Amino acid sequence: MENSKKILIELVNVYKEYRVSEISTLALKNVNFKVYEGDLVAIMGPSGSGKTTLLNMLGLLDRPTSGKILFEDKDTSKLSDKELALLRNIKLGFVFQIFNLVNRLTVFENIELPLIPRAVPRSLRAEMVKEALLKAGGELEWLKKKPNQLSGGQQQRVAIARAIVGNPPIVLADEPTGNLDRASAKIIIETFLNLNRKGHSVIVVTHDPEVANCMRNIYVIRDGAIMGAYEPNPSESLISKMM
Amino acid sequence: MSFYTLFFDFIRLSLKALSERRARAILTIVGIAIGPLVLVMMSSVVSSYSDYIVERVTSLGQNAIAVFPMENYKIDGEDLDFIRSLPEIARAEPFFSTQGILKRGTEEIKVSIFAIDYTLLFEAIGSLKISEGDVPSGLLYSIVGRKVSFRDGGEQYFALNDILTLTIPKIESGKITGRKNINVYVGAILEEYGGALIVDPDSTVFLSPEAGKKLLGMKDWSGIFILVHDPSFVRSVVSTLRSKYENKLQVIAFSAIAEAISSVTDAIGFINFSTSLSAFAVAVAGVAATMITSVMERTREIGVMKAIGYTSIQILTLILLESIVMSLIGASLGISLGTVGAHMLSSRGLTIGGVGLTLQLAPKITPTLILQTLSLTVMIGLLGGALPAYRASRIPPIVALRYE
Ligand SMILES: Nc1ncnc2c1ncn2[C@@H]1O[C@H](COP(=O)(O)OP(=O)(O)O)[C@@H](O)[C@H]1O
Ligand SMILES: [Mg+2]
Repeated sequence: MENSKKILIELVNVYKEYRVSEISTLALKNVNFKVYEGDLVAIMGPSGSGKTTLLNMLGLLDRPTSGKILFEDKDTSKLSDKELALLRNIKLGFVFQIFNLVNRLTVFENIELPLIPRAVPRSLRAEMVKEALLKAGGELEWLKKKPNQLSGGQQQRVAIARAIVGNPPIVLADEPTGNLDRASAKIIIETFLNLNRKGHSVIVVTHDPEVANCMRNIYVIRDGAIMGAYEPNPSESLISKMM
Repeated sequence: MSFYTLFFDFIRLSLKALSERRARAILTIVGIAIGPLVLVMMSSVVSSYSDYIVERVTSLGQNAIAVFPMENYKIDGEDLDFIRSLPEIARAEPFFSTQGILKRGTEEIKVSIFAIDYTLLFEAIGSLKISEGDVPSGLLYSIVGRKVSFRDGGEQYFALNDILTLTIPKIESGKITGRKNINVYVGAILEEYGGALIVDPDSTVFLSPEAGKKLLGMKDWSGIFILVHDPSFVRSVVSTLRSKYENKLQVIAFSAIAEAISSVTDAIGFINFSTSLSAFAVAVAGVAATMITSVMERTREIGVMKAIGYTSIQILTLILLESIVMSLIGASLGISLGTVGAHMLSSRGLTIGGVGLTLQLAPKITPTLILQTLSLTVMIGLLGGALPAYRASRIPPIVALRYE
């Protein structure tokens, strides 16, 4: 069944080594990983295991030390930084642990941000921004506010709206609930499940098992290597537990 | 279409970024404004005065030369004949000149008295025009300057055919032995000439040479006024005369004076320009410091923008736009203040020592000056923003996912 689905991103024998002066860290060791259309995946692992590094690779934010990243069957090592930026803009949406909203801009302007580099006409933007915010579980009266006038959970919903405003097929989230209370975390996870139902592939990096158990597949990473795929246990999920 | 969308969005983002750190941006803008302020203020004032002075001097005739006897020398007919015999020379006429006091009701004013062939006078000073009367022919008829016949307030005191009583030095056998009064009629009144430098027609009483000799009682010529056929001959005539009359005659070419003034004002202009350049250099450093701080503070934000699809060139453009916007605001501020300053500076007037002439001229704020200043100031933005913008463009997108 999964084999009939389209592969969006494929990591082939990916190694990533960080070098800071003399010290080198092998953050990814021979990682092979596929992201399919419609995926709802959790990547779990302890702190320092290489989750963020893996997400950097999937999100085309960094280049591997060796190995290949195929994006829709294209070898990305041959793409320029500019072409990678375009792919990120159109195909990928990012959600961060600390939201990473720009506080001097309004919520509207924050969500609009990814539409600017590809010069989406202003006339289309208002609709796209509103649609994204509603899809992310936000409320339209936030649009005129500044992010710091909102709660953490609300800010994360704005961040999700920013990630999906261009309607990218893939949404990548790095510890999206790491800075939130349980109630807000639950809302965020439900938002991701919703997005997945609407056709986005969702990859969530987390070290929180209750978050991971909400996903359809769980991959565990340890010391830079993927240890295997696990079935989630829905009864131990954030969604089943609360309220 | 899409270019404009992009352009205006980028400008908007830049303005938002600047307004977030308003105090810092304003201080930087003030720093930027100093260069254009100084440049506009000084250049416009210096060039208005220097242009005026050069224009006045050159109006005396590009082909005019005056010779004056040095001490212990008397010009005679032989000298005049020699000068007239030179092939380059169109005309050469001797003149008498002295100072006198004119009674004008209760007031007494100082006037110059200049006895010279009237036709030569008008030929040499092209812009000299008669407003009342005609060039007189009678011995006792003079041509008077505007300030002679009119009071400072503007009302006319002497009309045509009125009699002027001038007190002049009495000269006996080459020495001043006292004073005497002479009376002449007003035969013509000149239009206002404006301040002049070597001769001031406005406060001069012009007489014919015969009248000069007879009324003034001067035996010796005060000098010879020479017109050459073409301005290009001035140099050779001057050097011929200087070598022949080395210690006897002082030879002055008006075009040479204009050249000297131009070169002095060019030097002032250059000094002013280089002074402003140092202000510009300081501004570049200021912009660079401000922008590099701003970029460092926004490392994460820039990383996020990269992650969501902004290219390095776009980030570079955004940061560069911020510094260019600051420099444009600084330029407008500096140019406006410079314009105000220039008017204030020039309204004080400039008194030229010796000639006793006070000029009050509007500063010369030309489109060229504005454009030059503007482009220099935009250069500040480009230069000061270059390194910070480059640094920003190199921030890797992975910093968006780095938390400490
Ligand atoms: N930019 C970097 N430079 C040097 N070492 C890094 C860098 N990013 C991550 N690392 C190291 O790589 C390893 C994996 O890090 P990371 O992918 O951030 O793990 P996780 O997200 O699972 O906590 C860690 O040992 C970390 O210290
Ligand atoms: Mg991490």
